[in-house]
Amino acid sequence: MQRLAVMACVLFGCASPAWAAKVDVHLTDGHGHGVDDAVITLTPDGTVDRAANAPPPATHVVDQKDEVFIPYVQVMRPGDKVVFRNSDSTRHHVYSFSKVKAFEFVLSPGESSPAMTVVNTGIAAVGCNIHDHMITYLFVSDAPAIAMSTHGGMATLDHLAAGRYTMHIWHPQLHPGKSETTRAVIIASDVDVQHVAIDLSLIPDPRMFMDREHLDY
Amino acid sequence: MKRCACLAGLLMVNAASAQDFSLHAYADGRLVSAPDETSWTQGGLGKTRYGDGGVQTKFGGAAVVGTAQITPALLAFGDVQFQNTDRATVDVLEAYLRYRPVSLSRWRWTLQAGEFFPPISLENNAVGWTSPWTLTPSAINSWVGEELRVFGAEGRLEWRGDIHTFELRTALFQRNDPAGNILSARGWSLSDLTYGLGSRLREPDIESEPTARYDPFQKIGDRTGWYGDLRWHATGIGSINLMRYDNRAYPDAHTASGVFAWRTHFWSLGATTDTGPITWIAQAMQGSTAVEPFDDTRFTTGFRSAFLLAGWNLGQWRPALRVEHFSTRDTGYEAGVVEGEHGNAITAALNWRPHDWLRFTAELLRIDSTRTQRADAGLSPKADFTQMQLSVRLLY
Repeated sequence: MQRLAVMACVLFGCASPAWAAKVDVHLTDGHGHGVDDAVITLTPDGTVDRAANAPPPATHVVDQKDEVFIPYVQVMRPGDKVVFRNSDSTRHHVYSFSKVKAFEFVLSPGESSPAMTVVNTGIAAVGCNIHDHMITYLFVSDAPAIAMSTHGGMATLDHLAAGRYTMHIWHPQLHPGKSETTRAVIIASDVDVQHVAIDLSLIPDPRMFMDREHLDY
Repeated sequence: MKRCACLAGLLMVNAASAQDFSLHAYADGRLVSAPDETSWTQGGLGKTRYGDGGVQTKFGGAAVVGTAQITPALLAFGDVQFQNTDRATVDVLEAYLRYRPVSLSRWRWTLQAGEFFPPISLENNAVGWTSPWTLTPSAINSWVGEELRVFGAEGRLEWRGDIHTFELRTALFQRNDPAGNILSARGWSLSDLTYGLGSRLREPDIESEPTARYDPFQKIGDRTGWYGDLRWHATGIGSINLMRYDNRAYPDAHTASGVFAWRTHFWSLGATTDTGPITWIAQAMQGSTAVEPFDDTRFTTGFRSAFLLAGWNLGQWRPALRVEHFSTRDTGYEAGVVEGEHGNAITAALNWRPHDWLRFTAELLRIDSTRTQRADAGLSPKADFTQMQLSVRLLY
């Protein structure tokens, strides 16, 4: 459900509901196809007291269905919780050895893990030790504004105040070792609407989708 | 007694609920336009699976693959096939246990024991050790399917970086002592006739009268073989692996029925990468195999082969094109005489998967080969083989 929703969490909006500026982002892959599952963050130039504007913690669900993690990318705030649910008829052994959070859960069919709090920011790759082809990412960020692209590469970051921002874009399939895509964004007024279109160069999807022919043991 | 029965029942229920089972299978039927020459599978010198000309309907094969996840770390795997190209046989391609505990560090280790393929083929990753790209694997992987199998244990150590992953595998094995015999007796082939425990490999009739078949997976002598494989993989870039195999067989050891051990060792190099929708696979192999049927008499066959495959990932459609070269060089048979073979092959295949359970494949295979052994049979050493196949494969 989180995947379908455009997640714009705007701390400035909480402090001042009058701010109504927004940035519409459209991400494509260079061939005209929209890029979903990219995380877009906006950080105002200058210092920001991020902790003071933190939203209340939320609980997210990462499902496992047909040996695929859903969603591919889960955006989280420090202090949020995540539950891993197994909707398959086979066991999964969910784990991560990332610096953000190291953990493991053995999940029987239909079982859900306890809600796990993630405090540190960063990107945690999560896999299944039984099915090596499964992977998902927890993107934990305290950036003031954050959204994930859905519905053909569309994302909106709203409730923004006027000012100068830096936009960062991350996707699991960005070329490894290549620097993160960034863009300067200037919002002229509290009701400004900016449109940003960006082409991303992506590597092929590393997830292997199993079918009746392809096995991965 | 009643208490014991209840306890046993409870244990069985717990064991069943703790296990995950999966079953995969395929069955393949074909229409084949075969080369005129008799196939090696029927004792001839033809290099393809089918021969004797004409258009034939054939049973391509069937296999059942079963797995049981006994614990989160312990997997049992079995692959049983049925073939009738040479003789109707049910044989076991693989049967092993794999123990892979979860690791919350960048290092992870795995232990695998039983019968399994050495990690050579970059083509055969589909059900029943088939290739998703072509019906006929390359010459290298045709031989892997015919004569190479590990009966032993393999240890694997991985280091998993954010981008780069390194993997080292090493194994100790027995029961692969005849490996290499078919490369000397027949030379390379291009065939998807894979052999397993319980099947017999046929030698060309010119090499052995009457018809001779042998079990390629038997222990002759008491030597233990080994392989080591170093693999690098980088997300979005590709993979490279280098392998050394040595069965360490005594080349003068033989069974009572006259099946000799062949001392076989080789290097194998493989690489894969993706560019847009195209998957590229390249493999190369070079090695030698030797036998000593008499004192002070050693026959050696050097072998080498390489191929490049391009496969297009176009959804339901998967075209593939492969070019390859292969050769053998025999020494020790007759002073001053060089024997062996050299040849090239090109394979073009078009795969269509209209449903998850259905695959159609049209494949054209063309082989040009020059083999001195053919002169002994009164044939021209140079020969061309063209095999066309239309396959319908049902998948479960």
